[in-house]
Amino acid sequence: MPTINESSLIEDNLTNDLHKLQEDEVIVNQQLDQILMRHCHVEAKLQSIRKVLPNVAVVKAETEKFRDMIHHTNILAEKVSAKVRQLDLARSRVCECQSRVNDILDLQLCCEGVATALENEDYEQGAAHVHRFLLMDQQLLEKTADDVSGDHSSVTSSLATLQQAANNLRQVVDQKFDEAVKGEDLASVERFFKIFPLLGMYNEGITKFCSYLAIKLQVTSQKNLKAALDTRITDKRASVIYADTLTLLFEGIARIIEVHQPIIETYYGPGRLLTCAGILQKECDNQVKKIVFEFMKHRAISRKVQLINEHLRKQGVEKLEPKDLDILLSELTLMHARAELYNKFLRRRVFNDIEISTTDEQHRASLKNDFETIMKNSELARSMQELLGAYLALERYFMEESINKAIGMDALDQDQQTSSMIDDTFFIVKKCVKRSISSGSIDGVCAVINMACGLLENELSSQLKSRLRQGYPAGYLDLAQAYNALQTSFQHGRIQTSDTELARLMFLAYLNNAETSIEYVETLSRNLKIDIEQAFPNMQTKEKGKIESCLAGMKNVTFTLRTVVDYGLEQLRSSAIKPRINPWVDSFLTINHEADEEEILRHETDESFVQTLVMNLDGLLQVFKNSLMESNYNALIGILTTEVTIRLEKVIFKSSFNKIGGTILDNEIRALSNYFTSSTSWTVRDKFIRLQQIATILSVDKVEDVTEFCATDSISWRLSSAEVKKILLLRTDFRQEDIKRLKI
Amino acid sequence: MEDYKFLFKVVLVGNAGVGKTCLVRRFTQGLFPPGQGATIGVDFMIKTVEVENEKIKLQIWDTAGQERFRSITQSYYRSAHALILVYDISSQPTFDCLPDWLREIEEYASNKVLRILVGNKIDREDREIPTHVGEDFAQRHGMYFLETSAKEAENVERLFMEIAAELMEQARCKELPRYEQNTTSINGKTTAIGDSNSCGCSRFT
Ligand SMILES: Nc1nc2c(ncn2[C@@H]2O[C@H](COP(=O)(O)OP(=O)(O)O)[C@@H](O)[C@H]2O)c(=O)[nH]1
Ligand SMILES: [Mg+2]
Repeated sequence: MPTINESSLIEDNLTNDLHKLQEDEVIVNQQLDQILMRHCHVEAKLQSIRKVLPNVAVVKAETEKFRDMIHHTNILAEKVSAKVRQLDLARSRVCECQSRVNDILDLQLCCEGVATALENEDYEQGAAHVHRFLLMDQQLLEKTADDVSGDHSSVTSSLATLQQAANNLRQVVDQKFDEAVKGEDLASVERFFKIFPLLGMYNEGITKFCSYLAIKLQVTSQKNLKAALDTRITDKRASVIYADTLTLLFEGIARIIEVHQPIIETYYGPGRLLTCAGILQKECDNQVKKIVFEFMKHRAISRKVQLINEHLRKQGVEKLEPKDLDILLSELTLMHARAELYNKFLRRRVFNDIEISTTDEQHRASLKNDFETIMKNSELARSMQELLGAYLALERYFMEESINKAIGMDALDQDQQTSSMIDDTFFIVKKCVKRSISSGSIDGVCAVINMACGLLENELSSQLKSRLRQGYPAGYLDLAQAYNALQTSFQHGRIQTSDTELARLMFLAYLNNAETSIEYVETLSRNLKIDIEQAFPNMQTKEKGKIESCLAGMKNVTFTLRTVVDYGLEQLRSSAIKPRINPWVDSFLTINHEADEEEILRHETDESFVQTLVMNLDGLLQVFKNSLMESNYNALIGILTTEVTIRLEKVIFKSSFNKIGGTILDNEIRALSNYFTSSTSWTVRDKFIRLQQIATILSVDKVEDVTEFCATDSISWRLSSAEVKKILLLRTDFRQEDIKRLKI
Repeated sequence: MEDYKFLFKVVLVGNAGVGKTCLVRRFTQGLFPPGQGATIGVDFMIKTVEVENEKIKLQIWDTAGQERFRSITQSYYRSAHALILVYDISSQPTFDCLPDWLREIEEYASNKVLRILVGNKIDREDREIPTHVGEDFAQRHGMYFLETSAKEAENVERLFMEIAAELMEQARCKELPRYEQNTTSINGKTTAIGDSNSCGCSRFT
């Protein structure tokens, strides 16, 4: 028997199941309703399908008919095209037959024609016959002759005759061409030049013709060189006569190509310029070698380079005057630039010719490579490398010596902030790098930039630094006096470097020199980049990388110069700022900061501490204001501010205050801060924050008031709580216990 | 902006034909070039390597050995951080020229420059310079020493990687005291190197 408990459990279960079943029933009913609703719709669809069913059968029948028709047409078309193919074949055979018959007929004609033409020395006519013969397929002709029996012997003999005639003609034309060259018979040269290709002698023709042109080049160039050697020194081109001679050579070759390329292309077809350029280049090499030899000899290049090297190793006795190298350097760069120009011209022409002669990319690339190899291994390239090497050695010497000279002749003008060496040095550097750009050699430009960086970083910077190392002479004298001293010493033709005034002026000028140099290097680097991009518009990535990397060397120069400026400012701090301001600030200690109001009223007419200090500082700055350039002057004020605030803080901590003393200090610090702020465009207010906070604490009414400041703006609060307590202790009117108790 | 912490200039010098270009190509492109012509003037390649998780950009200047290119190549000595002087272990004359090259280096390079002597072509059977002779020479002139083969890729990677590591260590040694002194930082982003010997950190063992 189930217990009551159990039966109630079963009842519960049953009710649950009933509920569930009821819910299910509702859902099923809903679904049934939906299905019934769609019944109508489905019915309508079925109706329409039933209507179109008969049509489907019709469509199927028609489609089958159509398919049969297409199949039929297809078979027909194939039959027709097979017939057409047969026809085509037949027709092409007829054509071939016809052309062979023509060939045989022409063979006879040519055979007879060549003989007559040779007899009449009508080489054009003869060559035309041979040309026609060369166009025939000789093996095929012999086969044809075999097929058409009976005629066999005549065809073979004609072939033999013509072969013989062609060889004869080749020999004759060869010989006649040589005779024409020897006799300088230009008309005949051109006449036979045009006959070579008809006889299939393309390479012989080009080679002979270009060799002929090369001889003409040689003659002209030697004449030019002789004229150059005979040039009087007074001639206005005398200083660049070898560059002129080289230019004439290059222009001569350019003209030859300009004039003859069209004829060559007409009679020989495109793609012949590479051979042509190769032959002309060989003669160019011979002539360049001669010209450069004479140049080296007459301009005494080797001796000059040797003198320079000896000078560099401090062995030489004789010294070259840099100015005397100026014109030679121009001539060297001019020669190199001309060669570059010629190289570019030739490459452009040959590459264009290669482009139109073949579409095979690989073949093109290999032909182009052949050209590059010719030029790379040419005597021209070698000579130019030789010249560039000499140029760079001389340019280096020129730059170094000129800079040393500029430094040696350094002078300070009264109305200038920098001395003369800076403008002079950068003028020289700019001139040299620009000259290297005009050489047309990227490697040359890079080398001169490298040299310039080296000289600026060593020669110039060390000169600047060694002057600054001597320090700024202490003691006070106004600058007007110094200028006068400078003036008189110039007038007397001597510079008394021992004069303190002069030393001071020079120190400041050199500080300006260093700062100005940084500016100049940056400008120079920027401008050179533009100049180089203009001079070499088609630089490759690698060349760009080289230039960029070498120009980056300029940045290192500015880093070095920056350390020189910093060094100079440091010198000023220790010798001109610190010793002078310390006593001024220290006078704060002699003042009573615990005065009562009566005492203060009594002293109101006296100058305050800050008024005196500002006056003194102003006097000090006046000395520098005109002599230092703005950025250096601002840096100086920065240093001055730091020194004054640090010193003042020190003496404040050695003094005692009452409320009135603290308030006065607060005002004074504000005044001092205003003074500094107004004397520079740089922000110096920041340096006063600590002092101002100290003064604020010193001027509070009650000890507890400070909690307010410490709590409010903690970010800009610069004082530690220990410091705050130490400052409060300076107030003699506060009790120590109150301060100690303070919770901050 | 390129992403690297250090930039070092490495310059290769030595007689023509000792394999400078091949060494550079092997390192930068991983190949041994067949029959390329002699170098004209200077060639310039860049490879960024990683040492101790720091990116180091090596700017490698491959110079032409012939006399007529000397003015060009000399101009690169001064700013070089490392100079690799190469000879061919199968050619006595290339070894005999080393003192001349050292004189050049003395004259033009910074005295702080890292110098490495490299004997190349050790794959060749016809050795003329025994290893210890090269080693002795290097030691006498305060240079690191390594023998390589550009052809067989022997020690090439190692040569450049150790140069990079050594230069980086030098740069770091230099860097630390500078920050402590609180002077103005001298070279913005990349770090150049200076006195190395004081630091006593050395590889190439
Ligand atoms: N067997 C061998 N030949 C080398 C090796 N390195 C370079 N060469 C060959 O030496 C020749 C000159 O090499 P190159 O790199 O142009 O010398 P570079 O003038 O110093 O730049 C080429 O023919 C190279 O194939 C090497 O490690 N082993
Ligand atoms: Mg090379």
